[in-house]
Amino acid sequence: MYRYDTIDKEFVADRAAEFREQVQRRLAGEITEDQFKPIRLMNGLYLQLHAYMLRIAIPYGALTSTKLRKLAYIAKTYDKGYGHFTTRTNLQLHWIKLKDAPEILDHLAEVEMHAMQTSGNCIRNVTADPYAGATADELDDPRVWAETIRQWSTLHPEFSFLPRKFKIAVTAAAKDRTATKIYDIGLHLRRGRSGELGFEVLVGGGLGRTPHIGSTIREFLPTRHLLSYMEAILRVYNRHGRRDNIFKARIKILVASLGAEEFARQVEEEWAKGDPSRIDLPDTELARIRGAFAQTYETLPARSEALEAAKAANPAFARFLRRNVHPHKQPGYALVDVSLKVPGQTPGDMTSEQMELVASLAERYSLDEVRVTYQQNLLLPHVKLDEVETVWRELDAAGLATPNIDLITDIIACPGLDYCALANARAIPIAQHIAERFAEPERAEAVGELNIKISGCINACGHHHVGHIGILGVDKKGEEFYQVTLGGTADDNAALGAMLGPALPAAKVAEAVEQMVEVYLRERRDGERFVDTFRRTGVAPFKEAVYADAH
Amino acid sequence: MPTLIKLQGGGMVLANDAFTHVADDQELPQGDVIISLTRFQADGERLMSEGRSVGVRLEPAEEAEALAYDLPRLALVALAFPKFRDGRQYSNARILRERYGYKGEIRAVGDVLREQAGFMVRCGVDAFEPADGSAPEQWERKTRRFRHVYQRAADGRAPAFAERGE
Amino acid sequence: MRALTANRLDDGEAVFWKQGRWVVRFADAELFEGKDEAETAEAAAKSQQTIVVDPYLIDVIPAGDVWAPLSYRERVRCLGPTNHPMHGKQAEGGHDIDALVHAEGAARSTGRVNLIKRK
Repeated sequence: MYRYDTIDKEFVADRAAEFREQVQRRLAGEITEDQFKPIRLMNGLYLQLHAYMLRIAIPYGALTSTKLRKLAYIAKTYDKGYGHFTTRTNLQLHWIKLKDAPEILDHLAEVEMHAMQTSGNCIRNVTADPYAGATADELDDPRVWAETIRQWSTLHPEFSFLPRKFKIAVTAAAKDRTATKIYDIGLHLRRGRSGELGFEVLVGGGLGRTPHIGSTIREFLPTRHLLSYMEAILRVYNRHGRRDNIFKARIKILVASLGAEEFARQVEEEWAKGDPSRIDLPDTELARIRGAFAQTYETLPARSEALEAAKAANPAFARFLRRNVHPHKQPGYALVDVSLKVPGQTPGDMTSEQMELVASLAERYSLDEVRVTYQQNLLLPHVKLDEVETVWRELDAAGLATPNIDLITDIIACPGLDYCALANARAIPIAQHIAERFAEPERAEAVGELNIKISGCINACGHHHVGHIGILGVDKKGEEFYQVTLGGTADDNAALGAMLGPALPAAKVAEAVEQMVEVYLRERRDGERFVDTFRRTGVAPFKEAVYADAH
Repeated sequence: MPTLIKLQGGGMVLANDAFTHVADDQELPQGDVIISLTRFQADGERLMSEGRSVGVRLEPAEEAEALAYDLPRLALVALAFPKFRDGRQYSNARILRERYGYKGEIRAVGDVLREQAGFMVRCGVDAFEPADGSAPEQWERKTRRFRHVYQRAADGRAPAFAERGE
Repeated sequence: MRALTANRLDDGEAVFWKQGRWVVRFADAELFEGKDEAETAEAAAKSQQTIVVDPYLIDVIPAGDVWAPLSYRERVRCLGPTNHPMHGKQAEGGHDIDALVHAEGAARSTGRVNLIKRK
């Protein structure tokens, strides 16, 4: 884990002190709301329907027990005892008071945390593969690069007033667990011809009103030039991104209008004019960051007799192993998901008590690490196989062991109209109704991998465009209606979903999902997932099933 | 006369403004003037040959590169901020300082607020016409806010990684 | 019929105008029949920059024996999130809350009387 040195600590302390002053000035009327709003956003504070919402940064989803305990404390003391994890692996608290924000930031600074740049037209929290450092299928630890980018992007003086928000994601594994193709910059670690490490650089992914999959603008960028190259990308965007229309202001619009080739040419031209040696990190600094993520393990046998015995004796545990436990690169260890998707509850929400429990589990059983995933769940990355059953029992007692990772009840949903000032419709009840219908674990497992993603408005914070089933809330004459899309994916083969048909009223959505699942179960061949069957059959059989009553 | 604040010797001071802003359709007064890029491209040579100090005002969509050949003779470049949220001028400022080594005054004009003091100074802006009635002490305080910075920019401050290397 | 709402600056609470002050219960909100009185109140509210953020007028309609915001979004602001019935203003319970929860006829989810003008 990266630990702050004195410089990092002083930085967040200075930032917290600055914000304290700014809040005081706002409360005293010395700055207007118009002037204050970008400041408040750059410290992660939104004004929503019921209160302020604070979005706390969790860089590349990485937490320790200390940090998670502090989040539990803040949720309990300053909020209503719960928080919501987002697709950008941050934590949202929905009942915050502006006047408490400075104190909260001080608390966060104590544990090397902050809320910098989790909102606003600046570079946002960098995300990385949640399996980083623990999976055999990665070329390098993406957290090294995520931390590098985090520091470089923090209060970058040239890029704090961009046309719009800017999201960066890094992956180093064949399987993209971080949706890198739908962000402004996606970085894929690659090996060059001579075996050296580099990045494939994708630019221009993004969802919202006009979704795009990122385009490769550079097949191979040596890792040492990461920062100078990104400065070139950001500068081209800062200068040429549209500022006349917020719906056309993301870099994806610029890339689409110039074409990826021309955009790449402009970036290369800008990069060639610069002096990379001023911007790129020296090897010593890279080594220091890399060293922070080094991990030692015990030497253990690859097979745990205790685990095998428990698996044979307990079908519920066996199911948990099948769905929520994954192979670790180190023999004798595993990655254990912590599901925040109990059917009928709010997806991605966690109480302070649950946070305390998982913090304790991380400390005792996961080398003091716990991570947030793109799917709004948590992950204990380094659990000994011998201890998985113990961890499972404790998770289960706290309602955190639903064996549903990647299944139909592992739904991504934004807070929607229940909380968010931007929403047109609610997302949470839709998620609850669908999940309740598939609550039976055997049924969910029989359906298999099915990513449902629900957004309460076109801003697409629920990533509906890239759901196997995507659901978008719209407002039709004051009633909540939902547009369904099919076949979206956010992985290495990222693709946008296709519309199913006319928008459905709220009461029909869960039923429609059941009808579509029936079609899938009927049509599927040879271990196809829902999304595979859809890609083979097209939309017709699904559309027919859902709109049959209309005939 | 709008207030003019200048970065001087590491601090911020109130300064007398020798320059007059002149709109495109205005007649030029005597003395040192700040004119638009368009006007400069038309009349700049003539004005400079008259012995005046000439400053050019760039709008956000105008690029510092357009002044590349003229910079050695320009006393001042004014970067216009129609809205403080429009961040294009931060790029222009850095290009002037870091790519062209421009040593003249770079002045922020328009919707210029003390909240942006830190960013502006780091990008190489060294003169400010504040729109929020703020005073030099407030600007100075703002620039001293952060003990460290994480990246190299135009102000010569050592980034964190260089500090660590020591 | 209209009401005037905003969020309180210091804590973000949704509040409603009542004769120059702000109340937290929608049931206590002042209602405006005329355009002029509504806009006068709105102008006054907008000058209270250190008390509230972004005041705006909303339409209200009769719902049983109470008034309810026309828009569903504003009803959520008056009540609280539907996934946590014990959070927000709805926790108070009682007749007025109940009536709001069951009010029919919601429309236009932004709730604002003056829609954002597109360029």
